[in-house]
Amino acid sequence: MIAGRSRCPRLPATAALVALALVGAACASEPNRTVAMVPSSFTDLTDAIDAALDTETVWIIAGSSRLVSQLADGADADLLITADRETMQRAVDADLVDTPLGVVASNRLVLAVAPGNPAGIDELADLTDDDLLIGVCAIEVPCGRLAEQATTTIGLTVAADTEEPNVRSLALKITRGELDGGLVYATDARAFALDTVDDDALAPFVTDYVAASVHASGREGAGSEIVDLLRSAEGRDILLARGFSLP
Amino acid sequence: MSRPRSQTPWPLAVPAVLAAALLVVPIVGLLQQAPWSTLSERLTSPEIRDAMRVSAIVSVVAAALCLALGLPLAWVLARSSRRGIGLLRALVLLPMVLPPVVGGTALLFALGRRGLFGRWLDRVFGVTLPFTTAGAVVAATFVALPFFVTTLESALREEGIALDEAAATAGASPWSTFVHVTLPSMRSAIAAGLALSWARALGEFGATITFAGSLGGRTRTLPVETFLALEQDPESAVAISVLLLAISLGVLIGLRGRWLSR
Repeated sequence: MIAGRSRCPRLPATAALVALALVGAACASEPNRTVAMVPSSFTDLTDAIDAALDTETVWIIAGSSRLVSQLADGADADLLITADRETMQRAVDADLVDTPLGVVASNRLVLAVAPGNPAGIDELADLTDDDLLIGVCAIEVPCGRLAEQATTTIGLTVAADTEEPNVRSLALKITRGELDGGLVYATDARAFALDTVDDDALAPFVTDYVAASVHASGREGAGSEIVDLLRSAEGRDILLARGFSLP
Repeated sequence: MSRPRSQTPWPLAVPAVLAAALLVVPIVGLLQQAPWSTLSERLTSPEIRDAMRVSAIVSVVAAALCLALGLPLAWVLARSSRRGIGLLRALVLLPMVLPPVVGGTALLFALGRRGLFGRWLDRVFGVTLPFTTAGAVVAATFVALPFFVTTLESALREEGIALDEAAATAGASPWSTFVHVTLPSMRSAIAAGLALSWARALGEFGATITFAGSLGGRTRTLPVETFLALEQDPESAVAISVLLLAISLGVLIGLRGRWLSR
């Protein structure tokens, strides 16, 4: 039988297939789409933006710092949005993006509590209570820097039990009741339907989302449709409905 | 007596070289990026010293738990012919294929303060595992245990039951047979299982951060420290990785020389 004789030549064929698959996976970029790099807190926005635009967008979602390192490592993208100004400045300094297009949205820091608030958290000072399970973001990520800035300014020494690598994992632990409370963005409190404690002392601590065109993008003007949308009346409604504030 | 040196056929040699390259090339990339001149400075910072201490405690205790709990489980899997053993064997392997972050989430749902069993732990014993070093140990043990159990189970199967039967014929009780016959013959398999499970526990990240969180000196292990450092200071992250590589390579080579060689 023919099949029995072709035992050995199949090996190189397999190798060729593997090589083809690798090449195919590495060259998956599409010419007529906008590739937008957005921070994790934009996760719930992408569907609404897709629905509002008649162009197609490929979303790359990660922490802002990681997005900038991906760009530095040669990621193919047209638009970069970061969750704070400092991270965008790093991209500007590294000549990865053009002059930023400005702020497209803002986010507030809020004190979120576990469902039903079993620990009875009712003021910011409860964050210093050693008997409560309190979470913040790690200082290495934007939400942690903002929390650190806020608590230092207000004069609180947070009795943190965990410093989470991103605001989503922090919000998950609060919504599961594993943590009694923590400092998260207003958008995450909204997304996880978390109760929040109102305190005007937190009001000044806002982060701004900055957008910029990626320097190496070969598609002139790609991504501006997203920025334009976010600045339109329709875009503002989308942002407000998800807990963002307007710049 | 030495075996005649055999020529490696090329259909084996080419993929073997590719496989070795795939494993070695990233390490070379890491070493080439390492900030050698400032390495000792970076590695003696208080944060990294804390992370080293947490990692040492967590990985060693996890390996000890693998021995204490995994050896009996391996014995049951290898020797028992009860119904459901096949299913149990499949379940034991699950943590190997489960993404560690999912494993950590599952641990949180089961053993968290509001979890299925954790609720009860909290109420009856006042024990809360998440956000404690004990929680980090549980996460590390969860991912490391399959490595220990599978190593020991295959060794026990290989050994067979002939010796056990002989001991039983001579009048030894099953427990006495286990202690005086099985255990001594398993020495090198136990060392191999310990080395594997310890190394897995040392490198554990996803389940740890999901279940135990991340707090310096309590739950922030070296891999968690590395992940956070990547956000701001990639060079420090590379420095910690070099340290992790050196520690695990040293221990694994040491073990290989002393106990793992056949």
